[in-house]
Amino acid sequence: MRPDIQGFLVAERKRQAQELASTLGRLEIDRRQFLKGTAIAAGGLFIGVSLPMSSLAASSDKATEFNPNAFIHLQENGDLLIYCGRCEMGQGISTALPSVVADEMEADWSRVRVEQAEGDQDKYGSQATGGSASIRTMYEPMRQAGASAREMLVAAAAKVWNTSPQNCYAKQHYVYHNENNNKLSYGELVAIAANMPVPESPSLKNKEDFEYIGKSLPRHDVGMVVEGKRIYGADVKVPGMQYAAIVHCPVMGGTLKSVDKTEALKVSGVTAVVEVAPLKVPFGSLGGVAVVANNSWSAQQGVQKLKVEWDKGEHGSYDTDVYMKQLVENVQKPAEKIAERGDLQSAFDRAKHKVSATYTEGHLVHAPMEPNASVVSVHDNHCEVWASTQSPDDIQSVLSGFLGMDKKSIKVNVMICGGAFGRKFKCDYVQEAAAISKAVGTPIQLTWTREEDTKTGYYHSNSAQYIEASLDEEGNVSGWLHRIAFPSINTLFDPSIQFAPANAVSEIENHPFGIANLRSESGLAPAHTRIGWYRAVYAIFWGLGYGVFADELAEKAGVDTLTMLNRIYDANTNPEQEEQVRRSKAVLALAAEKSGFGKSLPEGEGLGIAVHYSFQSYVAMAVHVRMKGDDFEVVRVDTALDCGQVLNKDGAAAQQEGAVAMGISLSKYCEITFKEGAVVNGNFNDYPVMRINDMPDVHTHFIESDAAPTGLGEPGMAPFAPALINAIYQASGKRYRSLPIQPQRT
Amino acid sequence: MSKTITINNKSYDIDVPEDMPLLWFLRDRLEFTGTKFGCGKALCGACTVHVDGQATRSCVMPVGALAGRSITTIEGLSDNADHPLQKAWLEVGVPQCGYCQAGQIMNAASLLATNASPSEKEIETAMQGNICRCGTYQRIKQAINIAADELAKEV
Ligand code: FES
Ligand code: FES
Repeated sequence: MRPDIQGFLVAERKRQAQELASTLGRLEIDRRQFLKGTAIAAGGLFIGVSLPMSSLAASSDKATEFNPNAFIHLQENGDLLIYCGRCEMGQGISTALPSVVADEMEADWSRVRVEQAEGDQDKYGSQATGGSASIRTMYEPMRQAGASAREMLVAAAAKVWNTSPQNCYAKQHYVYHNENNNKLSYGELVAIAANMPVPESPSLKNKEDFEYIGKSLPRHDVGMVVEGKRIYGADVKVPGMQYAAIVHCPVMGGTLKSVDKTEALKVSGVTAVVEVAPLKVPFGSLGGVAVVANNSWSAQQGVQKLKVEWDKGEHGSYDTDVYMKQLVENVQKPAEKIAERGDLQSAFDRAKHKVSATYTEGHLVHAPMEPNASVVSVHDNHCEVWASTQSPDDIQSVLSGFLGMDKKSIKVNVMICGGAFGRKFKCDYVQEAAAISKAVGTPIQLTWTREEDTKTGYYHSNSAQYIEASLDEEGNVSGWLHRIAFPSINTLFDPSIQFAPANAVSEIENHPFGIANLRSESGLAPAHTRIGWYRAVYAIFWGLGYGVFADELAEKAGVDTLTMLNRIYDANTNPEQEEQVRRSKAVLALAAEKSGFGKSLPEGEGLGIAVHYSFQSYVAMAVHVRMKGDDFEVVRVDTALDCGQVLNKDGAAAQQEGAVAMGISLSKYCEITFKEGAVVNGNFNDYPVMRINDMPDVHTHFIESDAAPTGLGEPGMAPFAPALINAIYQASGKRYRSLPIQPQRT
Repeated sequence: MSKTITINNKSYDIDVPEDMPLLWFLRDRLEFTGTKFGCGKALCGACTVHVDGQATRSCVMPVGALAGRSITTIEGLSDNADHPLQKAWLEVGVPQCGYCQAGQIMNAASLLATNASPSEKEIETAMQGNICRCGTYQRIKQAINIAADELAKEV
């Protein structure tokens, strides 16, 4: 390889920054102080942020480790480097969070470069990226960090001009003197600023002065994307690397009976066949046989030539059709009580009307466009990983156990995920690459084929739920019985779990409907495959149940859905849910207004509405459909959201468009089917997902809010399917209660 | 003499088994990783490149069959990332994860080369083979329209 001076300098700068970071990481500091700035000889100004905020507020007065979660590095030439600790998978977090820093810091965005931080929980705090939590937890600390840097720069300028900081202000990478027109650039000030004390409580900007927050700043990395230069886990190349492909045991808990490697080893380019043992820890490999070659294609050809026999084990007869019938039975009879309040029996006894319905949904697989991929290089005492991942810390934990190494000896380079949707939280594919690298002694890039990605994933729970409710004389909902059965994610950690436990079913007692007389029950639902988080997780089926049932109640009460929903919210007298009720109603009203809900529509068209509160954000959707015989077309979607202060409007809208697209996929087509223990689907031919011709016009509307910002990667998912189903009902009189609506069976 | 193939105006020897799909010759032999693997079965469009200007799924195209042909990948679509589609993509902010986008852009470029002002239906038909799991379709349509307008101005 040619010596790369530029690359060396970048690496050197990074090394310095990391060295400093780890020094900072060891500093014992006072709890109240969570910002730390310092200069290093040839570096500039560094600021680290410690998280979580809540631990700072805790009352204990014991000193704590200083755990900087993000780094701002103002370089000597004035360029600003911001490390993003959270993982990027297309949700735009590596733009959203740095833009908050830059805004408070009065930085010129064109001088900002964003770098993905490597995996180091001690330095960066939790980097596990899921639950739409990044913005929720990091907004304030990011602002504080930016504001501190700004105040230090202002103080530096004041020192130069021999005046008070009150006489100076910062704007777009310069500090100005209030009285004369003097100005100094951040580059000129950095060395002095680095020696200023870090402000204890820097003053934050007023909302009206935001330069980037709440606007539509373009993503920092789209330029690289349109040139094909963004490097994903599947694109990493390291010296001496070989390529691998794998076939897994198709059934959870199954084992390898026999493998004949002869033909595989004859494939040109193939160098080895490696048996990968199942690793019985959460996120460990299912077990499989891998083929190693000097290119991915030969490795894939080799896998096809393997003759493998599996012992399927105890889940070898899993059949989703049979299982679903059982789930439905289990919710149509009394099940394990989870929560109860009021007097459901007497509400039911006095009912004017009773309404009941059962809703079901099948398994889903994430199917990100980039299949699972990573490069792992295992050495005697250390290991280096380059992975598309949502959780570098889990990689370190799993590999630490598997390789018998300290977590610190496992370096994780976090690559952008080519889509993840919850899948890349689980690092079985990385552990497999480690197993293969260990066996053959070279770095290994393991890329799963689409078929393996589909057949041996972690699946969204299939579910059945039964809701029975009473309406009183005035048409108010007086009682609510809600039974649900689904194999929960808890089974990943404890396979003996037979019922979704209380924490997985708490949605029912906590739902903002707040029905006074209520009972929730959980039905028998053991897991026969690996269950995992899928974008929006359980909110998908909660949204389905609540959203469609509200429509069915409305019909019984002789009112429209919007009226029914408002009636239910208005009857909620729980003071703790006052805010949830208010904000839910507001997004509903906005979606209704923008879509013209209630307007008369041509024959064969319908407008459905639904609202859901999840991951602390509120989203209502109005879906307009046009029937085409038995099929339908989604014409337009109006989505109204309240996520508190919006960080990036364009990014928020993109997440809504994405949620609608994924919503159409799962409402219309997507379903993973198991027969004899194994997944039947394999690729996009028999696991069809939505394509461009199905894309409606999505209009995103925001509630202007000063509330703390909340995430948006997932909350748009839940209201889509019920709004769609309600629209189809209005258009055609056909009531769907199962997802997907048009199952594609092979 | 070994067979050669032209990629982004440069000639390369085809020094791999002839039945290796172009995708893997690009990605693993030449290390042009802009062209992506999504399905390997011509179902998703992530691997789209141009063969003599025509959008082609490189994951099912044996490299040996392309001797003497001229291939363009996302890396060679324009000199300075200034193809009207690339500019429109930035203007609209199309990409989310970005993984499918090289395929989308290459497919759209081939569409515009044969139909400079496609209708909405024509765009949908031409782009149907390209999956985007992040759901950027609405913006893809918008960006293609902007690029088409831009091209109309250039003529
Ligand atoms: S990878 Fe070629 S079409 Fe999907
Ligand atoms: S942008 Fe992620 S798959 Fe298209």
